Amino acid sequence: MDDNKSAVLICTCGKQLQLGFDFLETQVKKMDLATSVDVHDLVCQEEGLPKIAELLKASSGHLVIAACSSQKIQPRIDQYLDSKGLDSSQIQYVNIREHSAWVHKDLDEANQKSVDMIRGTLARSAKSTKRNIEQKEISTHVTVIGGGIAGVESALSLSNLGYEVSLLEITDELGGHVRSLPVVAPTGKSGKEILSSRLDMLQNDNNIIIMTKTRVKYVTGEMGNFTVHYTSEDEEERTLNTSAIVLATGFKEFKPTSMDEYRYGKNPDVITQFELSCMLSEGKLTRPSDDKPIKEVVMIQCVGSRSEDYKKDCSKLCCTFAIDNSLEIIERIPDANVRIVYMDIRVPFENEMIYKESREKGVDYIRGRVSMTWEQDGTTYVRVYDSLLDKYLETPVDLLVLSAAILPPDGITELSETLGYAIEDDGHVKELYGKLRRNETRRRGVVAAGGVTRPQFVFEAVTDAQAGALIIHNELQGGKIESVSRGAVLNADDCVGCSLCAQQCPRGVPLMIEQIEDEEADEEQKILFKATIDTLNCHSCGVCQSLCPSGATQLNFLSNDQLWSEIEATLEDAGPEYPITLCFYCEECSVSTIDIVGTRKMEYPANTRLIPVPCAGRVSIIDLLKAFEHGASTVMIAACEKDRCHIGGTGNEIAQVQVDVARDILNAIGWKGERVDMFRMFSAEPERFTNAVNEMVKRAKELGPTPVHEGTAGKWMEVTE
Amino acid sequence: MSNPVLIIGAGVAGMTAAVELADSGIKTILVERQETVGGNALDLYKAFPTDDCFYCFEGNRWRPGIRKCFYRSALTDQPNISLRMNSEIGDISGAPDQFSVKLKVGPGYVNPKKCTMCGLCLEKSEAFRLLSPQCQPQAVVYDPTKADDGAKQAEEECPTKAINLGAQPTEETVQVSDIVIATGYHEMQPVNVDEYNYGKHPNIITQLELAKIIDPIGESGGVPVRPSDGKPAKRVMMVQCVGSRDENYYPYCSKICCIFALKHANILTQERDDVKVSVVYMDIRTYDRYERYYRESRNTGVEFVRGRVSLIEPRKDDTLDITVYDSLLDKYLKFSVDLFVLSSALEPSEGTDKLIETLGIKSTSGFVGMVDPASENEVVVGDHIYACGAALGPAEVPESVTQARAVVSKILQSRK
Repeated sequence: MDDNKSAVLICTCGKQLQLGFDFLETQVKKMDLATSVDVHDLVCQEEGLPKIAELLKASSGHLVIAACSSQKIQPRIDQYLDSKGLDSSQIQYVNIREHSAWVHKDLDEANQKSVDMIRGTLARSAKSTKRNIEQKEISTHVTVIGGGIAGVESALSLSNLGYEVSLLEITDELGGHVRSLPVVAPTGKSGKEILSSRLDMLQNDNNIIIMTKTRVKYVTGEMGNFTVHYTSEDEEERTLNTSAIVLATGFKEFKPTSMDEYRYGKNPDVITQFELSCMLSEGKLTRPSDDKPIKEVVMIQCVGSRSEDYKKDCSKLCCTFAIDNSLEIIERIPDANVRIVYMDIRVPFENEMIYKESREKGVDYIRGRVSMTWEQDGTTYVRVYDSLLDKYLETPVDLLVLSAAILPPDGITELSETLGYAIEDDGHVKELYGKLRRNETRRRGVVAAGGVTRPQFVFEAVTDAQAGALIIHNELQGGKIESVSRGAVLNADDCVGCSLCAQQCPRGVPLMIEQIEDEEADEEQKILFKATIDTLNCHSCGVCQSLCPSGATQLNFLSNDQLWSEIEATLEDAGPEYPITLCFYCEECSVSTIDIVGTRKMEYPANTRLIPVPCAGRVSIIDLLKAFEHGASTVMIAACEKDRCHIGGTGNEIAQVQVDVARDILNAIGWKGERVDMFRMFSAEPERFTNAVNEMVKRAKELGPTPVHEGTAGKWMEVTE
Repeated sequence: MSNPVLIIGAGVAGMTAAVELADSGIKTILVERQETVGGNALDLYKAFPTDDCFYCFEGNRWRPGIRKCFYRSALTDQPNISLRMNSEIGDISGAPDQFSVKLKVGPGYVNPKKCTMCGLCLEKSEAFRLLSPQCQPQAVVYDPTKADDGAKQAEEECPTKAINLGAQPTEETVQVSDIVIATGYHEMQPVNVDEYNYGKHPNIITQLELAKIIDPIGESGGVPVRPSDGKPAKRVMMVQCVGSRDENYYPYCSKICCIFALKHANILTQERDDVKVSVVYMDIRTYDRYERYYRESRNTGVEFVRGRVSLIEPRKDDTLDITVYDSLLDKYLKFSVDLFVLSSALEPSEGTDKLIETLGIKSTSGFVGMVDPASENEVVVGDHIYACGAALGPAEVPESVTQARAVVSKILQSRK
């Protein structure tokens, strides 16, 4: 049996698909790479699954299934084969339903498209290799950086899940900001009460080592084998080996010394909301300047928040904190007069009830801004503009409380340099994907919990920490990792040490390792650093492969050779008479969009050929140019929306760069750059795909035959601009 | 071997919990009242904060990629998930760790594992339809009230024999160790809020109804139209806090309606042709990074009026004359609009009160409340009882997902 050849199984979808199956069968039988062709009515059903198993055995793993979307049937097929002890890792799918029969009215054209795509997939299948299940053991130690509520809860959760934890806190005490909150809405408990049972549990947990006065300097290594470099009180640098890291360094309250209108830092009776919390927690509530009793209190909201000059966004917690504290003041000093100057009062869900309570208890709300603060004869005055009354109000105050913005903590940018997570525009740790993956960071094995990603209420930080522990548990799997080895494999002999993969990997997987043993080469030739990739840590996008100048790193399920032969085989009949648009689509948002276009039976021109890639970032300049070499008239990449790439957010940006460069090359050699383009889409707007395809088909027509079609490619010509 | 975990509700939160538990080798029974999973998200078109579709949740550990569409979720084919569509929870008895739960499983007219969506039945009879291209299970649904001869023919000719028109509802009792409440929210139908005339004029709608109108998958292809006559709506007014922050209905803030409204306002002004939007509000509550929606809407000319609507007068041409008291100007302003959109309160979904009573757990304004407030463990609502997503109170997708993970984390912790 020739192991280049594959069996082909074509499904008629219960004889409901409008395709010429006889034609398909005859055409595919003629293909060199097909050992057998079977047309079946119901591949995905009970009667079809044994057929797949039979063909798989007969063709030693090489099988092409031409049916509906693999996104739907592959899980079922994989499971069935797994239950029969068969390896499904080499099966290749072609979608002849959503991507062909359902979207093209002309039967002949749909037939031809299906045949071309089956031929291409056969070529991919011919060079596929078996993927094995690999195992590795790693330590079950996790490091939590930051001992506030999120860090404490993370440590407890991880310990409960069976991990040993080192909890590193920079100050001399655990508890962070929560320790100093006199009252936490909506429960009305103090921060100390919320912390106390947790701190007891920590003390009694033998799996948790608490290290206070500890500062993390930098981190090396990768998931499963990080080394944390830290200093303790004695300033001596030590290291700690760990498998994963929880970043829980909380937040920092903005100190508004630069805002002259409030005189913070100059007048001791002007304090921040958190400073007031600390005063209330300590039980002392008098004027900081002279210890005299307090009667007139003015609080100002959005100090530094919702401001173009400081923090653009809302800090979310300050309204609730201000109301909590104002109620606490009234509780302690019943005749105190508390006024809150605000733009919008933002109290989510039941916090609205304490807002109402505070109004009933006499807290006065003034919608407007404070324009000026000054001292006169030992008294502090503020000038408030009331936008509802359109009037200015001047009033003496004993205490001016600024609800200052909540900012990212110090040190996270420095730490990101070695820990490899990304930073949001506002300086917080960037979440992997804002809608669904809030805990995870760009870097595998680094989870963020609590205020370090965004302002969070106490209960939110607790939930975040519990969820973060699950993410780590999912990654480390109790220290015994068993997984199909599906991803990038690096051949160190071919590595030229350029480090592009290490710089651009969306998940920070490749590491550059110093080549100590390499002594035979002379000094000038010697490559000092080479990349290594742990395939089990890889997210299989192929960005490293498309950037690698020497072909040293390649996906084990889609090598360069595989994709190039698929391009060539798909385009076998491409020519000037029937101009073809080749579309590489990512198997994330793009495959969904194209599938939904099919489900909705939205028509588009049939002179299109589709090739799946795991991520748009897998497509290199060479792949794009190969498509032209083999006769494509236009080439497009369908990718996820900007900043919404499924693989850490940057795969589609890499693809954009590849397209831009390919276009420059085409222009430089006298082709027309518009022949290649990239489009972004998601399935809620399926017309994004049909619009894109229509555009590229139109361009193919307008730009006419390519130099390949005309036989002039590769020959010297004067370029006319 | 422990009993499986029961998850009530297959919206984003319930699905996330189910998939995470299944990945960790724990058997789950995922019960959903509707005929497709996805809950409210299926009707919401674009999501915040990412501005792409609402139809996705996380993938499995054994499938690459960080997220998957509903239609790709293969929930019917996961070994550890037993999906019960069209089903409701009956009596719950037994002690924590060994609950005994009655399930009322609706008639299974179409076997979702057999349906291939080939389209044969859809052509034969209107009783069959595809709820959404993103529906999961990926199967047609049957409406017995539209039964006709075509339906019978489809039953006979269905290539996989997936249709059984004579299906009857069934009952079963399951033994479960833990219960996860993920019943989500319901948008209040403001029929009783007299001042807004909802239900009395076709061009007075809710935000969820607007989401369906501007969804490209909808009838108008995403063009904002007036329900009265299908003509393009050029002037849209939105009013916030309908039934929220209101002692007569719900005293709490529904938390996500401002973001929801401004997301729609931005789509209308930036991505649709020539639509003018005004928003009447008390406080704009775009927490945290959602402030971006407020900034963008002001920059693109959405008009904000702080105050309350005082009078709505329908005109013969189906437009509405609206009088608004502007509290900043201390004046009454008049507007003429094509669409009047109510940001209606989010209330607990139907049956939440009964569930709370049956399980003897706490209530927070009608939603499920945490068992020990001082612990700040919001997802722990009882002994072996957990909750996630909007069952705990109005929540956005990211919060729901994080809560679902916290629930799974807690269950795994309890089993270690």
